[in-house]
Amino acid sequence: MSDLRRARLEKGEVLQLEELGGGLLELTARLPHLATAARPGEFAQIRCSQTFAPLLRRPFSVAWTQGDVCAFVFEVVGTGTALLARLKPGDVLDVLGPLGHGFSLDVPAGKVVCVSGGLGCAPFPILAGALAKRGATDIIVLNGAATGDRLYPPQRFQRGSLGITVVEATVDGSRGRRGLVTELVADALGGDTAALFACGPNRMLVSLARVLETITAAPAIAEAALEAPMGCGFGTCLGCALPVRASSGDRAWALCCSDGPVMPIREVDWDELESMPTADVA
Amino acid sequence: MSVDLRVDLGRGLVLDNPVGLASGTAGYGFELRQLIDLDRVGALYTKGTTRLPRSGNAPPRVAETSGGMLNSIGLQNPGVEWVVERYAPEFAEWKVPVIVNVAGADVDDYVACAQRLDAVPGIAGIELNISCPNIAHGLDFGRDPASAARVVAAVRAVTGLSLMVKLSPNVTDIAAIARSVADAGADSVSAVNTYVGMKIHRGSMRPVLPGGTGGLSGPAIRPLALAAVADIRAAVDIAVVGVGGIVDVDSALEFFAAGADAVQVGTVNFVDPGAAVSIIDDLPQGGRMSGGMEVLAEGGRYPC
Repeated sequence: MSDLRRARLEKGEVLQLEELGGGLLELTARLPHLATAARPGEFAQIRCSQTFAPLLRRPFSVAWTQGDVCAFVFEVVGTGTALLARLKPGDVLDVLGPLGHGFSLDVPAGKVVCVSGGLGCAPFPILAGALAKRGATDIIVLNGAATGDRLYPPQRFQRGSLGITVVEATVDGSRGRRGLVTELVADALGGDTAALFACGPNRMLVSLARVLETITAAPAIAEAALEAPMGCGFGTCLGCALPVRASSGDRAWALCCSDGPVMPIREVDWDELESMPTADVA
Repeated sequence: MSVDLRVDLGRGLVLDNPVGLASGTAGYGFELRQLIDLDRVGALYTKGTTRLPRSGNAPPRVAETSGGMLNSIGLQNPGVEWVVERYAPEFAEWKVPVIVNVAGADVDDYVACAQRLDAVPGIAGIELNISCPNIAHGLDFGRDPASAARVVAAVRAVTGLSLMVKLSPNVTDIAAIARSVADAGADSVSAVNTYVGMKIHRGSMRPVLPGGTGGLSGPAIRPLALAAVADIRAAVDIAVVGVGGIVDVDSALEFFAAGADAVQVGTVNFVDPGAAVSIIDDLPQGGRMSGGMEVLAEGGRYPC
């Protein structure tokens, strides 16, 4: 059952919509409750229109917070995000959050490896900040995208000087190493790696899970933020089912919105997830 | 101004106000009561509940469409035993009446659930779901007046609870089904359940939902639901609960004007969890909704 004690409906003022290049947008808004209540990996359901077109809210990871300001990173993929991309400073942003289950923050001493694919960059600024605040000194972000201009700017993974190392990969080789970000993972993981955190398209997470299966010294904490089409985002519609490994061999589902979006990688049934049709984006 | 908004759904079930939360959009209340004052709503209609637990359908289970959404959840629920043992004691502490939506694959299923729910503290009534489009055989009872009557009569025989029957709109003559279940002993009917619909994925040109179709809900179906409610109102004397695309007080009043005695607010709960409470707040004041208020004052009956 969802714990919604920190979730709240909140309307705040849009401060800025910034183009980061390659279609990446960073939206900031004054949302005092969400900014103070959100934990890394949690998300907000944003209403893209004051009418019912489009009907449903859209889930967005909280990218970072500062004081009473919250940031979200997105790109235009459908009607909802197209409306968000037209917001101007002073417009009202209607959010419900924070929602979901975030990343583990109790990490033993050692290296922390973050694996980001495309828009999967979104939860890492807030996560890196929270881990650094708790004493993590060796945080490495492996950041991949299709092209260089679609990479989240490396300096933005650290709000303040946290000493985070960012290693980049692009499919077209226009920036960083040519190839998929998951190809960097084996080299980045050492025996002293305390935790691995990942966020990206489900197909990237599937290949990451396969990489981890081949590594003998995989970190004890290995978690991924997943996505699924959502109705409500708070555990009532049961729409955002994800396949998880069941002890009995039966099919079992977790809810992305409330059991996730962050799940231990070993708990997800990646074979089943891979066989599922591509999620619909509207 | 204080208006008496109570609605009598029969067999002792009287709601404080006519605005409930529709089955499948409010779970068993445990999530929404953390977001809204759940005790303000007229009734909570639970997620469809079956004799045994069900794990539900393979994802994706939801798809947004113009003014609506398709769902194919597949009646994921913990089973009636869990509801009685674990949830009902909590329901008994709440002010909001909890009406358990019951689904099944055959008459025995419905009867077993109804028997288990009868006389359980915290259970205010039963909404018989003879119209779920997302499980095999789920629509069979709802499509034929004789089989609908058979399952209602069998359940009627084993429960003293107020018995509402949720009707499928995926039929030729919904009024005939309504008449049939009323004659078989239903205390009220709710209309409508979702419409069978399909969405095609533009990339693959295949249905988005793995089963091909799902149930369409949301504002897109409101005109269809209103027509169904008006049809049913003309056919039966028992209470009619209107549901389908209500988002605000105006759209709720449309249902009262079409002849509903009460309403259920559904898909909008996902977008605005406070919608039902807002509608209740807006009901008694409504100067511009005065026509609707007269309808309410007359007990929801409207000549149509």
